[in-house]
Amino acid sequence: MGKLWLGNVSDIADGQAKGFDPNHSGSDTFFIVRQGNELFAYVDICPHYNDTSLPWKRHHYLDSASAHIVCAAHGALFEIDNGDCVQGPCKGQKLSKIPLEVSSQQEIWISLTTIKEFNL
Amino acid sequence: MNIIGPDKLIFGVDDVAACKQFALDYGLVTKDEQNYVSLDGTGIEILHKDDASLPAPLPSGSMLRKTIYGVADQAALDAITAELSKDREVKTLADGSIEALDDLGFVLGFQVTIRQTLDLPAETINAPGAAPQRGVNLTGVSKDFTAKPRSLSHVVYFVPDIEKAEAFYAERLGFVTTDRFTGTGPFMRPAGTLDHHTLFFLKTPPFMQGVEHFTFHMSGPTEVSQAGYALVEKGYQSFWGPGRHIFGSNWFWYFKSPFGCNIEYDADMDLHDDSWEAREALPGADNSQVFLLQSREKWAPGGPPGKP
Ligand code: FES
Ligand SMILES: [Fe+2]
Repeated sequence: MGKLWLGNVSDIADGQAKGFDPNHSGSDTFFIVRQGNELFAYVDICPHYNDTSLPWKRHHYLDSASAHIVCAAHGALFEIDNGDCVQGPCKGQKLSKIPLEVSSQQEIWISLTTIKEFNL
Repeated sequence: MNIIGPDKLIFGVDDVAACKQFALDYGLVTKDEQNYVSLDGTGIEILHKDDASLPAPLPSGSMLRKTIYGVADQAALDAITAELSKDREVKTLADGSIEALDDLGFVLGFQVTIRQTLDLPAETINAPGAAPQRGVNLTGVSKDFTAKPRSLSHVVYFVPDIEKAEAFYAERLGFVTTDRFTGTGPFMRPAGTLDHHTLFFLKTPPFMQGVEHFTFHMSGPTEVSQAGYALVEKGYQSFWGPGRHIFGSNWFWYFKSPFGCNIEYDADMDLHDDSWEAREALPGADNSQVFLLQSREKWAPGGPPGKP
C-alpha cells in the first residue's frame, strides 16, 4: 500500500499542532502535535459525543501553555502523548491515536491503510 | 422576584487574547479592558483564570465563574437578599450587587439591571397575503454586514441534579419552567421576561458540572446565518447549525470557542406568559430541531468563468 506525504517536521513549530484533511472533506479529520522532535497524531473527533471535531479555529488544538490538547466545545483536556482525557466531559476516555512515519530526512508520512482504517 | 434575565457572564479563561478576539469577531463591542457588550449593554467579562478577583472555579475547571442576573429595581434586589439569606451567605459587593451560591455551587450575582431598552426593528419579511413588512424598494440583505448581537439571551449549564436545580430556581428565585426534555432538563424563564428560556439544564455526571453554551439574540434568522457565516470565513469552527429549535422556536448556530464552551447566535424565540402549559418531549435529534442546515463555502452553479 502507498503512503501520503504530509510535510516536514519543521512545518509544525515545536509546541504547536496542525490539522489535515487528506480527502478534502472540507474540515480536518486528524491532527499532529509536535513536542520537541516527537510527533503525536490523533483523529479529530472528541470522545464526548464521538461525532464532532476539537478546535475552535483551524489548527488550534492546544491550550496556551501547549500543555494539553483541548476540545473547544466543552473544554475537555487531553494528554498530548497518549490522548487520555484528564478533565472535562469525556474524562477517562481517550482520543484515537494514529500511526505516522517520519523519515530520516524528517518527512512526515501516513500510510493509505491508516487513512482508510481511521476513515480520515 | 422580578428577575429580568442574565446581565453578564464572567469568565476566567486560559487564553485571554484569543477570547477577546473571539468576542469582537462574534460582534460584541469593547466596553472597557475586560468587558464586551451587546447593543443593550448585557455582555461578558473576560479575565485570566488566575485573576484574584474571580470567585473560585467549579471542580470541573469550567471557565464560567459567575452568572449575574439583572433585576427590575432595588426592591427586587432586597427581596432576593432576604430570600437567599434564609439559608446561605449573601455578600453585598462594593458596586451594590449581591453574590450567593445556588444549590449546585454556581456563583450567582444579582444587580439592578444595566440592560438598556432597545428600540430597533426586527428582521423584516414579505409574504403573499400579508402586508409587506419591508416597504417598496427597500432591499432585504447586503454583503456589507457587521454582526450586532442585541442582548444576552440564555446560558445553559451541565448539572448533576436537575431536580435540585429546577427546584432552586423555581422556588427560591421565581423562575417558570416553559418546556422540558424528559430526564435531561427544563427550559426556564425568570418572572421578568417572556422569553421562552434564559436558562436550560443538561443532566450530566457531577465531574462535568459547568457551562455548556451561552448566546445572544440577533435580529432574525438572516443575521444568525450571516453572522455565523462571517465567523466561518474568519476560520472559526461550527459545532452545530444553523438550524431551528423546536422548544423555543429559536434559530441557532453554535460555535466552538476558546471559552471552554460553545457560543451560539440565536433569533426569534417564542414568548410565553404564565398561562402557557409546559410541554415535555424526549431528548434527541428529532425533538431538538425542525431542521439542520450545514454550511459550505459560498458557491454558485455555473463552473469556471467562460463555461456555458
Ligand atoms: S464535544 Fe468535546 S468536550 Fe464536549
Ligand atoms: Fe441555546
